[in-house]
Order: sequence, then structure tokens, then C-alpha cells
Amino acid sequence: MDRSAQAGPVANVLAWSVLLFLLLPIGIVFPLSVTDQRFLSLPYEAPSLQHYATFFTSERWLASTWQSLVIAVFSTVLAVTSGTLCAIGCWKLSTRLTDLVRVLMLLPIIVPSIVYALGIYRLWIRLDLLDTYLGIILVHGVTGIPYVMITVTATLANFDPRLEQAARSMGANLSQTLRWVIMPRVMPGIASGAIFAFIHSWDEAVLILFIASRALFTLPRRMWDGINENLDPVMAVAACVMILLSMLMLAGDLWLRRRRER
Amino acid sequence: MAALQHSLTVRRLAKHYGPTRAVDDVTLTIARGQFVTLLGPSGSGKTTILMAIAGFVQPTAGEILLDQTPITPLPPERRNFGMVFQGYALFPHMTVAENVNFPLRVRNVARAEAERRVAEALDLVQLGHLKDRRPSQLSGGQQQRVALARALVFQPALLLLDEPLSALDKKLRAELQVELKALHRRVGLTFIYVTHDQEEALSMSDSIAILRDGKLVQEGPPGTLYERPATRFVADFLGKSNFLAGRIVERRNDGFAYAVDGARFVQDGPAPAGDDVLIALRPEKIGIAADGEAAPNLVEGTIAAWSYFGTSFALIVETAAAGTLQVTVPAWRCPVEPAEGRRVRLAWTADASVPVARD
Repeated sequence: MDRSAQAGPVANVLAWSVLLFLLLPIGIVFPLSVTDQRFLSLPYEAPSLQHYATFFTSERWLASTWQSLVIAVFSTVLAVTSGTLCAIGCWKLSTRLTDLVRVLMLLPIIVPSIVYALGIYRLWIRLDLLDTYLGIILVHGVTGIPYVMITVTATLANFDPRLEQAARSMGANLSQTLRWVIMPRVMPGIASGAIFAFIHSWDEAVLILFIASRALFTLPRRMWDGINENLDPVMAVAACVMILLSMLMLAGDLWLRRRRER
Repeated sequence: MAALQHSLTVRRLAKHYGPTRAVDDVTLTIARGQFVTLLGPSGSGKTTILMAIAGFVQPTAGEILLDQTPITPLPPERRNFGMVFQGYALFPHMTVAENVNFPLRVRNVARAEAERRVAEALDLVQLGHLKDRRPSQLSGGQQQRVALARALVFQPALLLLDEPLSALDKKLRAELQVELKALHRRVGLTFIYVTHDQEEALSMSDSIAILRDGKLVQEGPPGTLYERPATRFVADFLGKSNFLAGRIVERRNDGFAYAVDGARFVQDGPAPAGDDVLIALRPEKIGIAADGEAAPNLVEGTIAAWSYFGTSFALIVETAAAGTLQVTVPAWRCPVEPAEGRRVRLAWTADASVPVARD
């Protein structure tokens, strides 16, 4: 084995510190959520599930979870459909203009969300979309497009253009080629993109603060309000629920990748 | 099957990419049921011509006719040509049977009928037992056969093959050449085959079209092209050849004599116009003459190098009169024991060589 490829002690310590730094905030939330106290703290005497009970019986928290899920699902559908079609279109045409379109579609993750939120806020006032499901689904869907664009474009880069030629030489028209040859090949990219777009909407906290007022209370917004008003440990429970769902989605993504490699 | 045969005409076809002329005014007629090979080095335009026939390349000028019908404006999916791609282009997410069924699925063929035809096509290439495998579970030769079955199952008007054997090892390639030729005879379709491998072209084709720099250089049956190459390029590209540059010194009815560095040689057939002549002489048509034996053309030389190929010896002989000559002699009962520095007398008849155009 090549010795030079192995990390020295300094690099090892550095790497593990970075990893710990990334994991600690996630790790601290769980002990907080099982506290036996009435404020946000570590358990004093024994861990308790009382706040979980509160979360799962509280109408407000459950309504927020349900809202977040609905918004995430619909904005994912929006991001996946438009992102996939755009990625395939750019790939098929492949001109300088489509290169520009690709960059434009990545803007939502390049422009700071707060700037984006401000612009949307002004526009939504005029369109009367503030504090509506449609308003937030549109915003989350559009800002989710870059994730789908990136993953689908990546799978298309590995797509053998001769497969498309083969399909056409056998008489397949554009829609048949798209449905039976191109889509099955880019499906893993679409699935990955969908998972990221979902997570993006699920934990989005900036745009929602600008757009929502009374009707919309997604989980991140409810947590934000909770931190400002009182330090209720139920927030930690909500955080655990959010992390759990995100982890499940990521595990699903890993499983899909594993299956694709086989 | 004769009713399914079609002829194809390529008329004054040109394809320019900016200033580059990938195909430059090529006219070619492919007769019904023929196995025609487009042969040329890379960059000769052979694949561009095939892609234009398939419909993937829109020509700059010229037209393509199936029988008498122009097909140039038709998109590939409406031409009904079977095609075997370099690297096969099998759909990795489908089984062998699903791959072969694809053209039938596109055409909405009823299920029972489709199943029967898929089975028939797979039997044609002896792969019926592997129909549920994925392409990644097959060997290169098997993938190649699936690609063939898939290109034939919908009874195409023509079969186009783009270097289908180039990814295989030498022995398998030789086997599949025999199979392809037998398949051509069985299905009776017109085959258009593209390759850069001259042995493939010689062993399978009814007719070969040799291309160079986008132009058609010579076209004809393999034997004619090999025995009567029109230009130096053809003689060199198809097999090996020695070239003798000389001046015509005597013209007769049935031949002529030419001089190379003072030595005099004779050649059958009509003399080309002009005094200068270039003669192509195949290495295997040069014999070794015994001492005192007479021959129409004779040179003396010494063996500079030699190698053994089992069936034959390849000799490099330095001669005073004709320069360095490549000579191939059968190894079995070879008239000389090859050794470097050994003197040999080389002889060939007046019909062994052929005058070619310089290019």
C-alpha cells in the first residue's frame, strides 16, 4: 500500500474535528428533546418523553407538521417537473443559449435567500399571494429547481447519445424515446433531485418568514416563533422530527444510488 | 425474402463542417441484396455517409434514394432501416428480450405476434436461452448478436452496420465475420457495413467502396480491388504492396517495358499515358528463382531482415535495381533458408504487377 496516501496525525485530528463540528448540533438536539424540565435544557434527573407526548397531541404542532409536508410535496412536484424538463431540453439542444439557461436556473442557490425573499415579497404583494399555500409552494418549487437541474444534468452527462440514436433508428418518435429510453436512464437523477428539493422545502426558514403571516405556520416557522417567545423543549422534539425525516430521505437516496450501481 | 430487398443510391452526397469536407461529392449505388462495405481510414467520411443514410446527418448537398424514392428529408425514425451501432447501444435497463422487442413495441405490434417475432429473431442469432439476461451480463460477442437481432426483428428495408466488430478480440472477430456473412445470405437483406479493417472488408463483402478524405477512390468486388487497384492508396490500404517508379521504354500491343534505375522490367496490359509509370507489386507475387533460372522480371538482392509467421516468411530484400522490396514466401518447402545477408534472386511475371495512378 502507498504510505503517502495515508493521513498523518494532524490531518486525522483536523478531519475528525470538522466531522464532530458538523454532527454536534444534531447530536445535542436529541438529549434536549428528552429533558424532564419545562424549559430548554439537558435532563436533570432522568430522561423523559413528556415533550414528545406534548408534540404528538398538540394541535398546533401537528398542524404545522402537516402544512410543512403538504408544501414540501407540492413544491417537490413542481421543482421535479420543471427542473427535469429543463435539464433534458438543455441537454438535447446543447447550444450556448442553453448553457446560459443552465446557469440562470441555478440562481436561486447562488443569490442569498434573504435577497430573493425580499424580491418575492414585493412581487407577492402585488399578485396577492402572500400567506397562501400557492404562494409558498411556488417559491419553494422554484428555489428547489436547481437541485433537480444539478442531479438530472449529471445523469444526462453519462447518458450514451447512441442509445437515443438506436431508439430512433428503430422507429421510436421523440415521446417514445423520452418515455422508454431517456427517462428510465435519468430516473435515479430525478429521484435524487426530488429528495433534495423536498428537504429544501421541508427545512426552509427564510422565505416563509417573509411570505407567511396568519395562515401559514410550517415547522421551521413554528420553531422560530417558539425560540423568540419561550424556550419550550417541544421545539427540540420538532427538530428531532425534522432531522429524522431528512435522514430517512437521505437514506432513501443512498439506497437508490446503491441499487443503480448494481 | 426477395420482396424485402431494396437498392440504395447515394447521389453527389456532400457534408461540410465549416471548411472541412467530411464527405465530398460521393456517388454510390448499392444493388439489392448486396453486402457492401464502406472502407477507409479514420476521417475518410465512411461513418458520415452511413449516418447520412441512417438520417442522423443532414447532408450539405446531394440526395439519397431508396429504390427510386428520395429519402433525404425523412427523419431516422421514418426510414425503417435497421442499424447496429459501434458499441452496440443496447438499452442497459432492459432485458435481452425487451431490447429486441423495442422496435415492435414502438410499432404497437400485438403481444402474441411480438413474442413470436422476438423468439424468431433471437433464434436467428442463437440467443434464445439468454432472453431474460441484462446486456451487462453478456459477453461482447453475445451483445453484438442481440444488437443484430434487434436491428432485424422489424424487417427493416436495409441493415446498416457501423464497425460492429471493432470492440471484439481477433479470434471472436473472425468467427463473427463468418456468422455475419451467413446471416446475410439467410435474411437476404441489403447490408451496408462500415469498417477500417481491410481484412473484414475483403472476407465479407460483395462489393467494397474505398474512401479517402471524403472522396470515393474506387469501388468494386474485393477480388478486383485487390488485384487491380486503381491508385497507390488503394494498393497500399488494401493489403501490402511494393511500388516501382519507372519510365516507359517500349510499348507493345499487349504490354510495355519500363526502366527503374537502369534495370528493365516488363508489364502486361495497356500502358498508361505519359512516360512515367508507377507499378504496384504484391509481396506474395514475388517468387525466389533458382540460380540460372530465367524469368520475365528478375532482380538480385540480399536479405536485410526476415520474420516468420507460421504460414509464411516475410523478407525485406535490398536490391540495387528496385530498392527495398517486401517479399512473402510460403514457409512450407521454402526455396531458401532465410538468413540476413543471404543473396537471393527475385522473380515475378508480367501479369503479377499492375500500374497504378499516383495520388
